Amino acid sequence: MITGARTTTRIAYAAAGALLLVVGAQLIGQFELAGKAWPPLTDVLAYVATPSGSSLIQRNLLVTLGAAGQGFVIGSAVALLGATAALLVPILRPGLDRFAAILNAVPTIALAPLLITTAGREGTPAVIAALSVGFVMFVATTSGFAATSAPQQDLLTVFGASRRRRLALLELPRSVPAFVDGLTLAAPAAILGATIGEWFGAPQGIGLLLVSAMQNYQMALLWAAALAATLASLVAYLLLVQMQRVAVRRFS
Amino acid sequence: MPSTLSRPAPERAVAPGAPPRSAVSISGADKVFTLSRGRTLQALDAVDLQITEGEFVAIIGPSGCGKSTVLRLAAGLDTPTNGTVEIFGAAPRTLAAQHRLGVAFQEHALLPWASVRENIALPYRVAGRRVDDARVDELIELVGLGGFEKARPKQLSGGMRQRVSIARALVLSPDLLLLDEPFGALDAVTRRKMNAELARIWAEERITTILVTHDVDEALILADRVVVMSGRPGHVRTVVDVDFPRPRGPETTRSPEFHALVDRLTALLDAPEPM
Repeated sequence: MITGARTTTRIAYAAAGALLLVVGAQLIGQFELAGKAWPPLTDVLAYVATPSGSSLIQRNLLVTLGAAGQGFVIGSAVALLGATAALLVPILRPGLDRFAAILNAVPTIALAPLLITTAGREGTPAVIAALSVGFVMFVATTSGFAATSAPQQDLLTVFGASRRRRLALLELPRSVPAFVDGLTLAAPAAILGATIGEWFGAPQGIGLLLVSAMQNYQMALLWAAALAATLASLVAYLLLVQMQRVAVRRFS
Repeated sequence: MPSTLSRPAPERAVAPGAPPRSAVSISGADKVFTLSRGRTLQALDAVDLQITEGEFVAIIGPSGCGKSTVLRLAAGLDTPTNGTVEIFGAAPRTLAAQHRLGVAFQEHALLPWASVRENIALPYRVAGRRVDDARVDELIELVGLGGFEKARPKQLSGGMRQRVSIARALVLSPDLLLLDEPFGALDAVTRRKMNAELARIWAEERITTILVTHDVDEALILADRVVVMSGRPGHVRTVVDVDFPRPRGPETTRSPEFHALVDRLTALLDAPEPM
């Protein structure tokens, strides 16, 4: 089987790449090639294995994931509403496109003081996550709506579809693969957004751990927190990629 | 394929004695498309077409002669640059808005996420009506797709997809049926089979129909009248009445009269027009 052999080769390459990365990180830490701030991977894992280390990471990761999840849901919902509004009321379209682009162009760091005074220190991570998610999802949903074909649109016209039914029967189902495609990018963006949001004085979370570990020179904790956030992003991404495969199979 | 259809002949079949009602009236229709940089393309030039209720009219002509544009005018998907289009005395959009129009295009445009049954039931949902399951079942049987109700379009052959598209066009018992090369993508054998099916369906429902095709045999098997169009700009060249007895089986299509008419129309399609 040629495809079977290709799949095996691909998996072998991926495994070799991952191994190289892990071994490289370990060796750089072991021989202090990047200074004392880069501990060997085994030290980081040893820290995570201690009861206090694991409970600290776990507690704070859950807080970050909670904020990321909130932002993910709110950002996706607002983006879906915005894209639908742009579709149903064409006059809103250019304005909403530009508003989304501008919002995305403003650096988070510039928004942070504003958010802390409005959303508060605890609310800011979810809001920044929602902002990161919102732009990606607005673009994904808008392009999903635009993916209907002219014959499909003509078909609904000759059967006398109202605008609402055209949306429900054609545009919404047609946009599902693009929407889920957007979610695969939005999930890591939400976790990153929540983590950054926690830098600005949140009482808990991976972002807070990163800041305090850095200031107190707790390198094992710093790396463990970063590793936890990265793994969470990766898992969310892989889960959504599976969901996207199902969506593509089901809707096209 | 099953040939039973429990549905009674529709009331709209013209009562004997009553004057036939005008179904489609296209008068002096020009269509000019604007291309880039101010250039224009005249697709239709003063097209006249009158169709009475219950009539089956085929439009034949070479590629690019504007026959599909005529159909799009009747469907309300395009408006004429000059001239008028009236369907049952109103604007074409009115018929569509009242869900009284059935259309099957060459591009079947089935919804890929919906099953055969859901695709055929789509016009009910577009119209906001409760789906009449019995009617959908009847049409699935009629087009010979029994057993494929749950299949999705990508699992079907080209011919089966076209049959779904025709069943979908018929499901609401439309007052006007527009068919644009619905069998264009099919092989010759399947095509003749589908012609026979469509003739049988039409004989039972007597829906006013316009069929656009470039297949002369197909037009003569199905239509009461054949409109021959010529291109650039598209205009009506000749209208021929077809009065072979129905149903038009092999004994009709093998007759010398049928062949003579095929030859005459084919010659009209090929030959340049006398100036």
